[in-house]
Amino acid sequence: MDGLKRSFGTMTLVLIPVAIAINIAVGQLALFVKVPLYLDSIGTILVGVLAGPWAGALTGFLSNAIWTLAGWYTPAFAFAGVAAIIGALAGVFGRAGWPNVWWKAILAGLITGLTAAILSAPIATYVFGGVMGSGTDVIVAMARSIGLDSLGANIAQGTFSDPMDKMATYLIVFLVLRALPLRFLARFTNLKARSG
Amino acid sequence: MNSEVSRTPTGLHALHPLTKLTLMLLALVAAAAMPTTLAVLAVFLGLLLPLAAWGRCLGAFLRTCLRVMTPFFISLVLIQGFFTPGPTALLRLGPFRYTLEGLLVALLFSSRLLVGLGAATLLMMVTRPDALMRALVARGLPNQIAYIVVTALQIVPTFQARAHSILDAQRSRGLETEGRLIVRLRAFAPLVGPLILSSLMEIEERAIALEARAFNRAGRRTSLISLRDTRGQALLRRVLLLAGLALVAARLMLWRAA
Repeated sequence: MDGLKRSFGTMTLVLIPVAIAINIAVGQLALFVKVPLYLDSIGTILVGVLAGPWAGALTGFLSNAIWTLAGWYTPAFAFAGVAAIIGALAGVFGRAGWPNVWWKAILAGLITGLTAAILSAPIATYVFGGVMGSGTDVIVAMARSIGLDSLGANIAQGTFSDPMDKMATYLIVFLVLRALPLRFLARFTNLKARSG
Repeated sequence: MNSEVSRTPTGLHALHPLTKLTLMLLALVAAAAMPTTLAVLAVFLGLLLPLAAWGRCLGAFLRTCLRVMTPFFISLVLIQGFFTPGPTALLRLGPFRYTLEGLLVALLFSSRLLVGLGAATLLMMVTRPDALMRALVARGLPNQIAYIVVTALQIVPTFQARAHSILDAQRSRGLETEGRLIVRLRAFAPLVGPLILSSLMEIEERAIALEARAFNRAGRRTSLISLRDTRGQALLRRVLLLAGLALVAARLMLWRAA
C-alpha cells in the first residue's frame, strides 16, 4: 500500500476513474458495432503505460470490481486479479518504451494476451465450470470434442481469443499515445519518452 | 445503476453496509464449501431469498438472477453433459455420449454460480456504493480508492452518452458501422479515437479541482454520508465470520477424510 500511495500523484488519481469509464464505454461500443474483440482494457493498459505498474494493477482490479458492483457484468470480479496483472504488465512495457513503436506494442499485446489466457483458464475452469455463458463457449466445446480436458479447453479458448484482443488493444494505445499532446504525456513519468 | 435504494431505508436496506457485505461473503463461502447441489441450493433458498424478500426486492432479484444465470446454465448443461466421462449414458448423439455424471457436475456448478452471482447481485441491489465505500474507508481503505470507485460509477453514464453521440455524429458524416467485419473494424477507429482523446483531455481540470479542495491533505474529514451501526450488528458480523471460518474448516476436514 505504501509504494502505491507514493506513486500516486493527483494526475494519476484522476486518470484512473476516467480510464475505468473508457474500459466500459469502449467495451460496450465494441459490442454495439459487433466487433469480435472485447476491447475492454484500453483504459487499464493506458494507465499502466503512463503511470506505472501499481496504478495499472489498481485500475484493472477496480475496473472489474465496478463491473460487478454496477451489475453490468456480475462475473467480472472473479477475474479482477487477472486484470490487475494485465495493468501491471502494461506498466513494465511502458517503462521499457514498447508502446511507442508499433511492432513492439503488438508484441506487448501478444505477451499480455498469452499471460491473460493462462491465468484466466483455471478461474474459468474451477469457478465457472469451464464456461463463460458467451459465444466463446463454442470454442471450448470444439476443444473438448477433440479430446482436451476442461482446463486444456479453456486454455485453448483463451489462447484463441485473448492475444488477438490484447494486440488490438495495444495497437489502439499506440495510436492514442501518438495523438496525445506531449504536454499531456509530460505529466506522467512512467513511459519512456519517445525519440523522434 | 440497478440499485433500488429507497429514500428512507428500511429492513435489509437499513443494515450497515459491512453487515450486508459479511452476509454475502458467508453465502459465497457456503456455496464453495457445500459438497452437494442440494446443500448449495439450500443456501440460496434459506439465506438469499429470505433476505431479498426482507429487502422487498424479491421480484427484481429473481429476474436478475435468471438473466445472469441462463447463459451459464445452458453452456454448462451442454458442455459438461457431453464431455464429462462417466458410465451412465443418458443420450447418444453421433460419437458423443451425454452422461448423467456430466449433468450432475453441471447442476453443481450452476447452483454454486447461482449463489455466488446472486449474492453479489443482492448486495448491490440493497447497498449504495458510496455508503459501502464510506464504511470501508472508516475501516482503513485509502480515501483515494473510494474516490476512484465513486467517480468511475458517476462518470460512466456520461461516457456512454458521449460514445453514442460520437456514433451518431460519425454516422451522419457517412461512416458505415454495419456490414462486413472489415467495414466494422475500420469504423471502429473514428469512434474510439474521439472518445478516448476527449476524455483524457479533461482530466487536468479534474486534477485542479481536487487540488483546490485539498484532497491530498492528511487528517480527518467529515462525510456527507452518516452510517448507522449497532452493537447487535457488530456481534452478528463476528458470528457470521466465525461461521464462515467453521464452514471452511469443516470442508477441509471432509476433504482429508475422503
